[in-house]
Amino acid sequence: MTEFAAAGHSVSEAVAEQEAGSGKRKSYGRYVLGKVLGSLGSLFFVMVVGFFLFRVLPGDPARTLGRGRFKTPEQLEAFRAQYGLDQPLPLQFLTYLKTTFTGDMAESLRYRVPVSDLIIDRLWPTLLLVGISTVLATIIGVYLGVISAWNRGKPVDKITTGSTLTLYSMPEWWLGLLLIAAFAVGAGPLPGIFPTGGLHSVDAVPGTVGYVLDTALHLVLPILTLVLVYLADFSLIMRSSLLDELGEDYLTTARAKGLRDVVVRRRHAVRNAMLPTTTLIALSIGFVVSGAITVETVFSIPGLGLLATEALTIPDYPVLQGTFLITSAAVILANLAANLIYGLLDPRVRT
Amino acid sequence: MLSGLGSPATASADDEKVTFTVGVTNEVDSFNPFLGIESESYEMWALTYDYMITYSMEDMSPQPGLATDWETSDDGLTWTFNIREGVTWSDGEPLTAADIAYTYNRILDGGPESATWGSYLTSVTSIEAPDDTTVVLTLEKPNAVLPLLPIPIVPEHIWKDISEKDVKSYPAEPTDGQPVVGSGPFRLVEGTAGGSMYRFEKNPDYWQGEPHIDEVVFRVYKSDDPMVQALIKGEIDFADDITPLQVQALQSEDGITAINGSSPGFDEIAFNTGAVDTETGEPLGDGNPALKDPKFRHALGYALDLDQIIEKVYQGAGLPGDTIVPPAYSQWKWTPPEDEAFTFDLDKAGALLDEAGYTEGSDGKRTMPDGSPIGTLRLFARSENKKSVDTMNYFKEWLGELGIDSELTTMESNKLTNVILDGEFDAFQWGWYVEPDPDSMLSYMTCDQRGGWSDSWYCNPEYDALYTQQNGSTDDAARVETVKQMQEMLFNDSPYLVTAYNTLGEAFRSDRFACFQPQPDPGGVLLFQYGAHNYLNARPVAEAGDCDGVTTALGAEGVSQGGGASGADSDEGSNTAVVVVGVIVVAALVIGLGFWAIMRRSSVADRE
Repeated sequence: MTEFAAAGHSVSEAVAEQEAGSGKRKSYGRYVLGKVLGSLGSLFFVMVVGFFLFRVLPGDPARTLGRGRFKTPEQLEAFRAQYGLDQPLPLQFLTYLKTTFTGDMAESLRYRVPVSDLIIDRLWPTLLLVGISTVLATIIGVYLGVISAWNRGKPVDKITTGSTLTLYSMPEWWLGLLLIAAFAVGAGPLPGIFPTGGLHSVDAVPGTVGYVLDTALHLVLPILTLVLVYLADFSLIMRSSLLDELGEDYLTTARAKGLRDVVVRRRHAVRNAMLPTTTLIALSIGFVVSGAITVETVFSIPGLGLLATEALTIPDYPVLQGTFLITSAAVILANLAANLIYGLLDPRVRT
Repeated sequence: MLSGLGSPATASADDEKVTFTVGVTNEVDSFNPFLGIESESYEMWALTYDYMITYSMEDMSPQPGLATDWETSDDGLTWTFNIREGVTWSDGEPLTAADIAYTYNRILDGGPESATWGSYLTSVTSIEAPDDTTVVLTLEKPNAVLPLLPIPIVPEHIWKDISEKDVKSYPAEPTDGQPVVGSGPFRLVEGTAGGSMYRFEKNPDYWQGEPHIDEVVFRVYKSDDPMVQALIKGEIDFADDITPLQVQALQSEDGITAINGSSPGFDEIAFNTGAVDTETGEPLGDGNPALKDPKFRHALGYALDLDQIIEKVYQGAGLPGDTIVPPAYSQWKWTPPEDEAFTFDLDKAGALLDEAGYTEGSDGKRTMPDGSPIGTLRLFARSENKKSVDTMNYFKEWLGELGIDSELTTMESNKLTNVILDGEFDAFQWGWYVEPDPDSMLSYMTCDQRGGWSDSWYCNPEYDALYTQQNGSTDDAARVETVKQMQEMLFNDSPYLVTAYNTLGEAFRSDRFACFQPQPDPGGVLLFQYGAHNYLNARPVAEAGDCDGVTTALGAEGVSQGGGASGADSDEGSNTAVVVVGVIVVAALVIGLGFWAIMRRSSVADRE
């Protein structure tokens, strides 16, 4: 728990240290400029690393895709030539930079369609699934964290902390299968109401109210799985950072003013304890795009996480590079947003 | 609105559309028949397009498709096919011999089209359509694989606009709501490569007769447990590629029929028979010298308890293996005579090793004929395949009993491929699918394939001579003899020890659909066969009758049906109410804890 809190603080501290040298307080504008440039640098670094990292992977796409199909070495060579895999690595890197900057990503080796099409297709199920789950987990988790910190050592605290930790330690696929068995197939008195997987029914017509409801029904179990697993992240860090605040003098002062307990908690304690949680929330939102591979697998939801893991087995370089870039960009952006918000919330970090 | 959600196809009502939903575990990688490689893609092409020659249900021998009959000249250099009249494309244009010649010529021209299909047109120099009902193939030398031509025929009037350069990214998917133009029994109306659902509607004018089902829908499940649950619940009608344990569990479910169909392929333990650099001819890697000796390898064949492997590793769903031709292709298969066949006999294995000079030293470990230690054999298994790992663990144990040390390394198949190409291994476990004509499988064991697909680095000029002989043979009976001789040679030289003929688990709702004929018949798979046969055979149970006289079809009249249907129906009736109740239950579950906490907190706060 304290580890989480420490991690949360260290971000702001690192930021503070990094710019401590200048000595005088910068304007918010210069702070923003510095952060944006830094993020662009990280993004470029990610592009370079992503390219060479995946080339180190074992495996040869022509062989993986051609087993039992290409019968002569010439056919293998022809395949490599067709997708530029026979070019020297630096040349391939230049092509990759060029295609990425023109926004026209290369074609997937496996699906033979532009990677950007694949990513756009897979992006929205992931955003829907992981996005909603993260938002729900944040709200419920932060609330549970506040409750348990405020009632430290009491049964409420023990039950919430105990149950969120138990859920946190459950493997996602196992919890998912359990929920499918209980609520999709139906066990004992429980009727099987929810679908076992997929994003919508075969007969659903896109663009109708029925379609939206149908998708919502399909998302209930996967979202429930993710929320249950994510809860502890938020509740534990909120709990520990609130506990840090509990002994502070300003709370005694607030109580001494005669404020009701609820008001002391909401207006004073929680507000100050929110900083580490803000970091965590921002980072979690960044990771929304990278998806939730296990839950996507168990519930057969065609998301980005699955796309990337399956590309690894080929290895389908264009898809790997594309998904790596998109997910890293999302994390970098979320981090940037967190830094900018921090700059507003706590002017000290700008110095 | 809610009543339509997730409701499975009801196969009974006449006025309602009959939808047959198939659960698969992998995506289609391309609907373009020149690009895809996954078995799912082959299935989609079989639904969309026709073939000049198809495979029979019994033993997958060639049988008429678009071609009604064919003849070959005495020298085997000219093949003439007579093409069926009156076949039309789904947009109304007639399908003629010109379309067939066009498709084959695209492949013959090279480029991406030749990757998958080029090998079927080996030695073919020209393909012509002198009139609408004749296709003539001219060859430079005889090709024994003909008339096998499992190439989907595409419409010239559509594909002539797609250049050689564009074809490598041409999706061949529905555009602007227009289905893909094909001549097959179904046509794709919705779906995209890499997508999670594909919908086909029937072609009412299909030349083999109208299909009995209106729609076929494929749903991709990324893991097989939820797919099995969906079958039990009735969300899907057919589940493909399930495990033997799931088949066993499903057999006790009402209204479901589950089988382990024999799949035409084999699993093997392969040895490093001597890797060489294919350019210089120098030895490559560090394979153990003992394994370069065919006698040593062959002796190990008697140290494999295949019955136990089938029982423990394959859960009984498989057959012990002997040669690289699976039993489904009975006309090609050579079976070792009883006194030579591999049996689990460690004494015999030991005696054979002694005879070849690999005797036990004072420490109980076997040595090379010159007395030096054999050392530790490095075995490899594919980490993503449990059967691979388990098989090699057993093998390691039995090697130990023979006095041979070994160590097992598991790694992803991608990485293992590199290890094999570098020749830095002694043995590994893998498997192959074998096409209805064994030619390509036989070719993988030739010297030319070293550094290509030959993973055992096997090279035997006598074998190569037989390969060339059978490949150019014009006499079928003589070719079969040669193919059998080659299998015998591989059995004796043992670059592979064939461990098992695998199976594919499949299950379907036999309370809804009937008339699935296995391929090969009997004992084969029900869908994902060669050809689209069962999509034409399958029909609602109420219409099953005698399945048009196909007596071996599953679900023909007289076969008892399960009673799961009534239960499923009543569930459907109360669907709406159930949904509402369920949402409340789950919502309560999520917020219950928090809600209770709120109550607790306020009372505590009030007290303070």
